[in-house]
Amino acid sequence: MKKEIKKWFSLNLGINNQDHKECSGSGCSHNSVEKTEDGISQVFDVNMNRRQAFKKLTAGLAIGAGAVSTSCSLFSGDKSKEKSEIEWEEYFKGNYKLMTEEEKSKTVDRLIRSYELRNGTKINISSQDAEENVLFGYAFNISKCQGYMDCINACVEENNQDRASQMQYIRIHEMNDGKGLNFGEADDTYYHEVPAAGHFYLGTQCMHCDNPPCVEVCPVQATWKEKDGIVVIDYDWCIGCRYCMAACPYDGRRFNWSTPKISEQEVNKDQHYLGNRLRKKGVMEKCTFCIQRSRSGKNPACVEACPTGARIFGNLLDPKSEIRWVLENKKVFRLKEDLGTEPKFWYFMD
Amino acid sequence: MKNKLNIIWICLLIFMVSCKHKENEYHSIIDKIEDLSKDYKSVSLSSETYIETLNKVEVIENWQRFYIPERKSQIKSYECNECHSKPLSELQNEKSIKKSHWDISLKHANQETMNCVTCHSENNMDKLHSITNKPIDFNLSHKLCSQCHQKQYKDWAGGAHSKQIGGWAPPRVSQTCVGCHDPHKPHFNKRWPARYNSQMADERN
Repeated sequence: MKKEIKKWFSLNLGINNQDHKECSGSGCSHNSVEKTEDGISQVFDVNMNRRQAFKKLTAGLAIGAGAVSTSCSLFSGDKSKEKSEIEWEEYFKGNYKLMTEEEKSKTVDRLIRSYELRNGTKINISSQDAEENVLFGYAFNISKCQGYMDCINACVEENNQDRASQMQYIRIHEMNDGKGLNFGEADDTYYHEVPAAGHFYLGTQCMHCDNPPCVEVCPVQATWKEKDGIVVIDYDWCIGCRYCMAACPYDGRRFNWSTPKISEQEVNKDQHYLGNRLRKKGVMEKCTFCIQRSRSGKNPACVEACPTGARIFGNLLDPKSEIRWVLENKKVFRLKEDLGTEPKFWYFMD
Repeated sequence: MKNKLNIIWICLLIFMVSCKHKENEYHSIIDKIEDLSKDYKSVSLSSETYIETLNKVEVIENWQRFYIPERKSQIKSYECNECHSKPLSELQNEKSIKKSHWDISLKHANQETMNCVTCHSENNMDKLHSITNKPIDFNLSHKLCSQCHQKQYKDWAGGAHSKQIGGWAPPRVSQTCVGCHDPHKPHFNKRWPARYNSQMADERN
């Protein structure tokens, strides 16, 4: 049997926690070796000036030094050695978009193990791909929304958002009757009994544009549109430049100014690599239509939580779906349609 | 002169050909959806597992086939005839029997339009009845609502006014009218929002 060839140097600290899976039957592939776009080539095969090179070197050294110190130490246990191994591998892994299925499952396993080592509890991270014949779409009924904000709470709990900074993907705008969709005069921080007289309510979040400007501006391709139309972020590839935040015309993207903190009991342990897995300081995040739920046939948490049924979610390619019925039978509109971003988030009225 | 005209024609032609979006071959998302769903068959996902334990009733409403939750088993004191063994007028006058349904007051349209017996049948409490006195099963109470609320009924059957149960993946299970609206008091109440975004309010001011 061939020894596994990887695109980066493995840090072997003497514990064999990673037994390679033996190829069974005809599924054994020898082609994977030829792929050169991933892993270390992405990190090193780039034009780099002196300053960038120094930056990379120092960051690499920091991890390397940590790894070496643990490996040489007689006192540090297997656990901390394993931790450094995971850290090393995670540092040199490639962009998720370019990973093979095997690499995807390996990084997911590493993240699960890493969480277990740090917190002592198991989480479940999925790397489930987009389903065939699925294109997700969303419709929001502005005559039904009463401004209760149950959706926001459900979203925060589902998607492991930072509690301290009150990170929220959804905004509910309280609009004045008779003034149209005037976001300038709308209030999204109201706190009084709702629905308030003379007002209506409109929710915004990431609209998962079919022509997303945020994807175009990302200098490192850390964000992209999946086959099922969900615009996702690789939190481990994001450099936190916030170009996407500036490019988004819908205020759909959020930035982690500090390390997100969620108490261990409150962490939603049902996670997806591109969705609600725990983020770190200095990366972007946003609504993913609850990718961990929607890719297993469920509705996003906001849709499920809405007590008025103002939120409709479904497969745009299924001619019999409810979302299609709404598009075909109600008078729908989208925000800033003239920009050509083609959001897959429609609004309508009763 | 002829040369110039030719150039103009060519320019026009190029302009007409190149007006499509550069990133894909579709003019709009609607074009894309229509094209990609032309030979749609099904998806491999299903929401079956999420609705396994739910009692369902299959309905065909406004040419849409879907499931709604079964209702009768959810009504605590069903079957009604277990108590309503005598005509209503007799029960009302009987002093020895404790009053029931005291907590129900009708806040649905006005007294000129509706009272209890607009929907409930005096002679058979186990059934509801339509305007023309045809019996309606408690499981299919939407038939009763749709008599007046046709617009909502059509939106409900289509999917614009019906909360999904389970998930987006087929089979479709939709909440029925009485799943969200109390038939005796169908209006949604005012209440406080679920949260206050103090951080955001601070930042805005």
